[in-house]
Parts: sequence; structure tokens; C-alpha cells
Amino acid sequence: MRKWCLPRRMAFAGLASLAIVAVLAPVAAAANELLEKRESLYNNIFIFGDKDAVSMTFGQNKRYYTESAMQLSDPGGLSVEYTRYMTVGVAYPPKIERIAEIGLGGGRTVSYLSASLPDTGILAIELDKDVVDLAKKYFKFQESARLRAVVSDGRAFLLKDSAKWDVILIDAYRGPFVPFHLLTREFYTLVKSRLNPGGVVVQNIEPSTMLFDSASATLKSVFPSVDLYDGGGNVVAVGYDGPQLSQAELLARAAKVQARYKLRYDLTKLAAERRVLNRPTGKILTDDFAPVETMRAIEQKNEKWKEQTEAPR
Amino acid sequence: MQSSHLRGILLLSLALILGFALMGFEMLGSRYLYPYFGGGINTWASLIATVLVALMLGYLIGGALVDRTMSPRLCGALLVVAGIYLFTIPLWVDPLFAWMLTSVGDGMAGITFAATMLLMLPLTLISVFTPFAVRLLLVSVAFGGRIVSYVYGVSTIGNVLGTLVTTFLLVPSFGSRALTMFFAGVTIACGIVMMLCDRFLRGTQA
Repeated sequence: MRKWCLPRRMAFAGLASLAIVAVLAPVAAAANELLEKRESLYNNIFIFGDKDAVSMTFGQNKRYYTESAMQLSDPGGLSVEYTRYMTVGVAYPPKIERIAEIGLGGGRTVSYLSASLPDTGILAIELDKDVVDLAKKYFKFQESARLRAVVSDGRAFLLKDSAKWDVILIDAYRGPFVPFHLLTREFYTLVKSRLNPGGVVVQNIEPSTMLFDSASATLKSVFPSVDLYDGGGNVVAVGYDGPQLSQAELLARAAKVQARYKLRYDLTKLAAERRVLNRPTGKILTDDFAPVETMRAIEQKNEKWKEQTEAPR
Repeated sequence: MQSSHLRGILLLSLALILGFALMGFEMLGSRYLYPYFGGGINTWASLIATVLVALMLGYLIGGALVDRTMSPRLCGALLVVAGIYLFTIPLWVDPLFAWMLTSVGDGMAGITFAATMLLMLPLTLISVFTPFAVRLLLVSVAFGGRIVSYVYGVSTIGNVLGTLVTTFLLVPSFGSRALTMFFAGVTIACGIVMMLCDRFLRGTQA
């Protein structure tokens, strides 16, 4: 008897979920047309678009993970909230001559920074050549004398190239996850060695799983000071050497850069949202032991990370 | 129980354990390669190709050796050498790969060279075991087909378990350096067992 019940129940669940898909699918299709699908060496890339927006997503497990988005009516804006907070990194260092970004996506953040900071050279390090091509095709990413893209694994590039940077941005998601070798103590130590004095690393970290605790604790094990910003779903972490800046000092620096470059997303307003990571709870990840797949499977409340932080003084 | 049965059980157990360790090393190999050469399909291609070439070389060398000497002691000694090589990997892998990345680069040549340095010699020596096991079990030509199928079947079960257990259970629970040393220790132990059981494993041969 039992043997019969189970399949029937499953069949019902299957029908129900089919019905949900059938209801949702046309709506999604109307709002978002698939402009291009490309199977690259590393990803299944889908470009969706409609009259006003275009987005780059990587497909995985029959789900789409948005890597980048742009409003067509406002290509210079940063329509994804956390990417605005990625730019807060330029408020910290004593100078901003050279910025590197690992993980290009649509290239909106580097394009914004390049347009806003006319004296700054920017290098985007992207693993997937097709991502660079699609960024140029759909996201108005243009290389120039001051903004270049290089196709390479981010860690391999930093190992090979000993050039130093004032800001290193890390936003290297492949679908839902960051490759483990971009989350370990050895990696952050390498990043630190490629920063000029006073330089900062800025990383986008997804806070909804236990991996967040380990990623932020690992960052904190290499950089004595780590600030966190709530980027509306994603958390932006800023790590730097030396003692924690006072909030007055950071705001003063932000105001100075803001006054000089008149950035569209006001650095002083972004910096005001700062939280300081002072109670890291996660296990430190190393090249030897980094069970990122397991940690990512353990979900936690989105806002829980704030318990590890305090307001800056 | 007849000693020929015990011999069969011992050799097939070794085939299972070594098959497990071999794929365990392949999966661990990825953890060593990722930090230097990235975690893409190209890293896996180099790794898989390296392991397959090692298997081929091991089968060829093993076949040639066993027809000449049929010495379990020799096969055991080769396993011990493989284990010692694997045991030392954590000591030299980081400086070597860092050097390779800067001198050879991270293209196909670089990754394949790195995977070769990491696994080619030890996995070749481990796969020498398979022809030895076949020949040592071959007491009569009448069972030849079944003997080959048992040895390959059992060692492939070991491969499958080594792949899955290493990936889903061991890597998430222990460090890859500790696991490398553990598998290396197991390989050395298998070699020592073969050396100690030399006379027993020779038995009465066809």
C-alpha cells in the first residue's frame, strides 16, 4: 500500500510545480527576452534584455544567477545596489592611481570608476574571454588607454604580475559561488602583497550561507581591519592593513575624494553605512582546507552577519 | 579455505584499495592545481589526461616486468616508491608550481607540466600493480577472462569509491595535505604487504 502512495504524492507535487512554472514562465518571458546564449569554456552565459534593461546571467542547476545588469536609459549608473558600495574602496587609500578588478561581469563598476576618476588606470582581470566579449557587445564596456581587460585567472595573474595597486576589487562569482582558491588565507596574503601602502581590497560576499562567516574571518586573518557594507542582499567587505580608521577620518578622506571628483554615488554617503567587523566567527579557509561547497550548503539568515560587527567610532 | 582463494582475496583487496587511492590522488590533484592554474575545464583536462597517460604507462611497464620476473616483491617496492613520492608532495608543491606559473605560464603546457610533476611518476608506479595482479592470479588459462574481469572490475569499484568518497566526504572534512599523506601511507602499506607476502603471492603458477 505504501509503495503506491508515495509515487502518487510525488506525481501530484510534480504536477503542481509544473503549473507554477506554467504561470510564471510567460510573465518572465514578457519582461525579459533572451538576447543571446553562449556556452563558454567556463560558463553558460545568458544575456536577457527588454526595452530598458539588459542583464548577464550564468545558468546553473536550472537557475539563473545575475552577474551584471544595466539600465539602457542610464548606462553610466550602477543599477545593482552592492556595486555602488564596491566603489567606496576609493575613499580609503592616500592615492587612487591604479585599480585592479578580478571578475569583470558586464564591466559596469570599472566603467563607472574609469569615467569618474580621469587620472586612474584600471585593469579588469577576467577568466572568461566570452564574458569580456559580451560585456563589450551588450554593456558598453570599452577598453581605452586607462581601462584595460586581460583574460586570466585572477589569482594566477596576481602571482605572475608583481605590479602593485591602490585598490583591488574582487567580484569573481561563477553562478552562485566563488572558486575556493579566491577565498583562502594564501590568496588574501597574495592580494595584500600586491597593494601599495594604504591600499585596500574590496570584495563582494554573499551573506546568506555559512561561507560568509569563513570568508570574512579569513579576510580578517590577513587584513587587520575589515569594514562591511550592507549592499542590499550582498555584503561588500573592505580590508586594509594597519589599525582601524576612525569614522571621522574615513569620512574626511571620502569627502576629499568626493570634492575632487564629484562622484555620482556620494562616497561620504556610502562610507556612512560602514560597519566594522570585530567579532569574526567563521573558520579560516586555507589552500589546504577550504570546504566551500559544504559551507555554501548551510544557509543562514541574511541579516545575521551584522552580529559580528559594530558601528565604527 | 584454499590458499589460492586467500591469494585472490588479498590481491583483489589490494586492487580495491589502490584503485581508491589512485582516484583519491586525482581529486586531490585538483586542489593543488586550482590556486595556481585556476579551476576551469582546462585544469581538469590536463589532470585527467595525465592520469590516463600514467595508467597506460603503468600497464605497459607492469606487463613487461611481470612476464620477466613475476616478483610481488618488485611490485611492492614500486608501490613503496610511489607512496614516498606522494608523501613528499606537500613539501615541494607550492614553490614548484609558483615557479612553473611564472616560467611556463598557465596555458595547456604549464598545467599539463604541473599535473605531470604532481602525479605522473607515482600513478604510473601504482598502476603497474594491475598486470601483476592479473598474472599472479592466473593459475589456469581456462579462467583467464574472469581473472582479468575481476581485477579490472574490483579496481574500478575502488576508482569510483575513491572519486566519490574523497570529493564528498574526505575533502570537506580534512585538509588536502593530510589526505595526501594518508593516501600515500596507504600506498606504502600496500607495497609492504606485497613485499612481505612475496612467497605466498607467487603460489603455484600456471
